[in-house]
Amino acid sequence: MSQTKIGEELRNATAEPLLPIEKKLIGWSLGIGITLLVVLAVVNHLFPASL
Amino acid sequence: MSSTADTLTTGSIPRRADNVETSPRISEDWLSLIVGLLIFALALAGIANVDLLGWAVTTSVWTDIGKALGPVSKAYASLGGVGSLLATYVALLVILSVTAFALKSDLKRFALAFTAVFWSSYASWIVGSYANFAAVTPADLQKFGLSWSLKLTNEGGYIFALIAGLFIANFLPRFAESIKAAVRPELYIKIAIVILGGFVAVTAAGKLNLASSLLLRGVAAIIEAYLIYWSVVYFVARKWFGFNREWAAPLASGISICGVAASIATGSAIRARPAIPVLVSSLVVIFAVVEVLILPVLAQTFLWQEPLVAGAWIGLAVKTDGAAVAGGGITEALILAKNAAEGIKYQPGWVLATTATVKVFIDIFIGVWAFILGYIWTNYVNPTNKDKAKASEIWQRFPKFILGFVATFAVGLYLALGTPTTIAAKVPAAMGEANSFRVIFFILTFFSIGLLSNFRTLWQEGIGKLAAVYVVSLFGFVVWVGLLISWLFFNGIHPPLAS
Repeated sequence: MSQTKIGEELRNATAEPLLPIEKKLIGWSLGIGITLLVVLAVVNHLFPASL
Repeated sequence: MSSTADTLTTGSIPRRADNVETSPRISEDWLSLIVGLLIFALALAGIANVDLLGWAVTTSVWTDIGKALGPVSKAYASLGGVGSLLATYVALLVILSVTAFALKSDLKRFALAFTAVFWSSYASWIVGSYANFAAVTPADLQKFGLSWSLKLTNEGGYIFALIAGLFIANFLPRFAESIKAAVRPELYIKIAIVILGGFVAVTAAGKLNLASSLLLRGVAAIIEAYLIYWSVVYFVARKWFGFNREWAAPLASGISICGVAASIATGSAIRARPAIPVLVSSLVVIFAVVEVLILPVLAQTFLWQEPLVAGAWIGLAVKTDGAAVAGGGITEALILAKNAAEGIKYQPGWVLATTATVKVFIDIFIGVWAFILGYIWTNYVNPTNKDKAKASEIWQRFPKFILGFVATFAVGLYLALGTPTTIAAKVPAAMGEANSFRVIFFILTFFSIGLLSNFRTLWQEGIGKLAAVYVVSLFGFVVWVGLLISWLFFNGIHPPLAS
């Protein structure tokens, strides 16, 4: 895969539709991530940093 | 880059973007841990009144070049500036030649290359310490008899080192190629991070409550990088840009987590061809340079009243350990300078500690995330593949230099808080000597990052599409979400004032 072949490979790459497992990975990651950030934000609000 | 890309087909020993063979005698992680701990241990001898590192060179803000350099300890004053610079060069040459040997590099080639890298980068640092660039306060300007200064502080020298590296890479490519053997930003920054642990410990010991608050908030960075960034970037690469899985996963890890290490770990975990993560890593390094040149200035302009928000933001937005942690150093210098000019003098170390904490927290989970992806890929995406992901890969991919950071932090904290006052009082000076090496490794990192950033790479056919994903994700999402999360968790928390 030389430099010029990178472009060729990307151009000729066959389309790969998102598999259900990929959709699950994306969905669960976002869902868990946002939930945990909200929980942490609440904890951060309840226990603010102190010097 | 063709050499790296060709590894796929030629079967030669694979090399990373920063020229490290991927199958050396001992990993770069372990080497950085060993070298960092060695410097830390030598510095600790100062507690027993044995000054083993006082000869290391340090640079002051200058208008008279004769007064720019000097040894870090007065005990070695007889060496003079040039003597201490030579001693530092020889010591680093010896230590790093041993690491080069362990990494299976040609020793003679490495020694010559390192000589060029060291002197070029340290010359840039000295230029950056010139008073018209570095003087900050009105008192400094008066002291040097100046009417103006760029107020970059002497840590603005990092930018000069980066620009010097960029210049060589883009205008003197043959010279850049000839010194490639010593262009190892990941090795340099990992050593610096191990040393940084002790310095952060001494800083944290003064305000333990604040330090523990920062650690707790570092957890938010992990969630953001792995769960939010990764999934969005992967979606963008797959859905909007039509990349296949083999390209999209290393690309998402490179843009979301930590450019070089994460894309290589992910590529390996999903059994992608080796050239793909190497190519992604090269792209990440180039964009990291752009970020390091822009984001600290933006942070100084818009976040100078929230120094820790700025520190966390740099850790979240800038990919690659080298650029992020070193970028945290520049951000700290710029923000502290701006505050000093406004009459507010913060203790140094806190902004950099915040950036390093965020980055270290993110790095810890690279192995776990690579295992999760490997498990999904080998069981669900390509289930016919017999090469299943194993839990032992988590440890294999764990960035070992983090153990060094934790060790120096723990020892430093114990010595500062758990020992009699007579011992504890000597710890800051000992860590100060170690820190002078941390600064030198930062300089080497910046210069090396610049040297790896040949912008012609962006003109290669096919790279544009990869770069487009990067631009869209980084400037359309990563930078702003990073800012939001940093603001949410770090606003209102200020470093202690300098006494």
